[in-house]
Amino acid sequence: MTSHRDTIYPEQARILAHEAYAGDQYWMKVAAPAIARHAKAGSFVHIQVDAQRPLRRPISIMRVDRDAGSVELLYKVFGEGTRLLATRQVGEELSILGPIGTPFTMHTERSRALLIGGGVGMPPMVFLAEQMKRAKHGYLPFAIFGSEVPFPFSARPSAILVDGMPEGVIASMPLLEDWGIPSRLTSKQGYPGCHDGYVTDLARAWLDALDEGDLSEVEIFACGPHVMLEAVAKLARDYALPAQVSMEEFMACGVGGCAGCVVEVQTPTGPAMKRVCVDGPVFDAKAVFPA
Amino acid sequence: MNPDDKQMLAVDFCGLKMDSPIVLLSGCVGFGEEYTRVSGFSNRDVGGICLKGTTLEPRLGNQPHRVYETPAGMLNSIGLQNPGARYVVDKILPTLDLSETRFIANISGSTVEEYAEVARIFDDSPVDAIEVNISCPNVKKGGAAFGNDPEVSAAVVAMVRKATSKPIITKLSPNQTDIAENARRCIEAGTDAFAVINTLMGMAIDIEERTTILGNNMGGLSGPAIKPVALLKVHQVYQVCRDHGIPIIGQGGITTPEDALEFLIAGATTVGVGTALFYDPLVCKRINRGIVDYLKRHGMSEVGQLTGTLRLNQAKSACEVCKDDD
Ligand SMILES: Cc1cc2nc3c(=O)[nH]c(=O)nc-3n(C[C@H](O)[C@H](O)[C@H](O)COP(=O)(O)O)c2cc1C
Ligand code: FES
Repeated sequence: MTSHRDTIYPEQARILAHEAYAGDQYWMKVAAPAIARHAKAGSFVHIQVDAQRPLRRPISIMRVDRDAGSVELLYKVFGEGTRLLATRQVGEELSILGPIGTPFTMHTERSRALLIGGGVGMPPMVFLAEQMKRAKHGYLPFAIFGSEVPFPFSARPSAILVDGMPEGVIASMPLLEDWGIPSRLTSKQGYPGCHDGYVTDLARAWLDALDEGDLSEVEIFACGPHVMLEAVAKLARDYALPAQVSMEEFMACGVGGCAGCVVEVQTPTGPAMKRVCVDGPVFDAKAVFPA
Repeated sequence: MNPDDKQMLAVDFCGLKMDSPIVLLSGCVGFGEEYTRVSGFSNRDVGGICLKGTTLEPRLGNQPHRVYETPAGMLNSIGLQNPGARYVVDKILPTLDLSETRFIANISGSTVEEYAEVARIFDDSPVDAIEVNISCPNVKKGGAAFGNDPEVSAAVVAMVRKATSKPIITKLSPNQTDIAENARRCIEAGTDAFAVINTLMGMAIDIEERTTILGNNMGGLSGPAIKPVALLKVHQVYQVCRDHGIPIIGQGGITTPEDALEFLIAGATTVGVGTALFYDPLVCKRINRGIVDYLKRHGMSEVGQLTGTLRLNQAKSACEVCKDDD
């Protein structure tokens, strides 16, 4: 018998709020006390989107409120399953399994966390920022979010100065700003206050402005499209920084039973196929994207 | 569930005492511990667990994507990812609580000899039985599955028979012309039981990219979509098995108690649950409950009384369907 027993909770979760944003993005809040209690930044939930769909859909967690027993999700309609999820109404119940997965690991000796989120890769980064804010250790996270559809929030000019930022790159995420956590946004769509480029371009500008001592305290955390994660892995290599990336893959069981969700990783004993659902979704960038 | 109700679910499956007719299917529950992550799930709710398909050498399996949802089902092309028989026996089996349920190895090979060797390794292990997955590509025959040919299927079973004294469950493929003939040959070769059916081969296409979705191009179809096919195959194999007292694990799309009952009536002694777990990890509790309620409603005291109670219509067309019934 193994110690992982009874760590994933099936809950009938009432939908407390469900709002649509531009670009087919949806924000949902559900009542799921056990999941809220045990989730960590990087965990996801596996949702029955519809009674007629044989497979659940994995969605990463953006925030939890342990006292209220609620869980917030942000997702984008990607296929038939998420399209059905988008039709679910406030007051309805969803069968949800969670929290699932190996979460991000924070390291106190690496206080300067660079959080990089692309598109619906943003939610776990918001969770991680909040987790760092709550931690007793004084983490100094900085978040860079990129999106090619309108951001699912009204960007606000930042009141927090960040060294190395190009002229005019002032748009920030209000939620993080209110927590006193600096953030900046990037897009190729010309949104005001956003950096015209990729998240990794802005990350380089930030890293280049750090002195050697500060640089040695940086750890990178990222979630987003595969190409973005690949670029983040290269960035981490270039600056000799540790990086944790959260991966995505089609899933069936979501609990480690089927090996349907694997990603190839390099291990000391050679290549291995690791399950994104329980071995991940968070992996060492070096293992997934070797040089 | 109260002890009297529980007693109604007990079955004997080729000598294995099972507390429930439900068997968790190979490839869906890893090596028996994965689903215990889910709070409320218990290995004790099922009569047996078929472990992931195991080969002689470790296998990395296929490139992603490996799973894809299809209408009322899914395709999978895992490619038998497993750490090799030696590792399973030495490192994984000792971590299981063998008192919880019956554990059944599921073996695969790319040659007849490999099947025998894997069977020998499991013969000297605490597993309760060995399930032989003959749906694997036969390297010497250009990749056609062993299970598509009664001759080759029987050869595999005969080799495994020599390698083990544990009960052998032969898992039949639906991707063949005459499943009843195959079953007959496997009985002669010494199988103790059958698992009917394995997945049906299928494909999914991305029309924008004009590529196949699965990394391996094709995969096995499972879930409710295959249930009617599976029921017919169980019925056909049962005609052959009945007189030999050879039991069947009926499987393919079982999701509800009613599905399970259909398979039992068609001739299965136990019922397999795989894909349905992905939707509802606690589905076995519901199926157990539903079977008990049905048995009570029909004045039966144990689930075994249901097996093969199907009454066929006497219409000529119906007899042609089960042409193996003589
Ligand atoms: C993800 C997945 C992996 C599977 N792996 C194996 C395997 O390793 N060996 C085997 O004999 N059958 C394997 N199967 C087939 C199942 O054991 C079962 O026979 C089939 O899925 C039909 O039952 P179901 O519709 O209840 O899933 C696999 C099925 C799935 C869905
Ligand atoms: S989805 Fe089944 S192992 Fe990850």
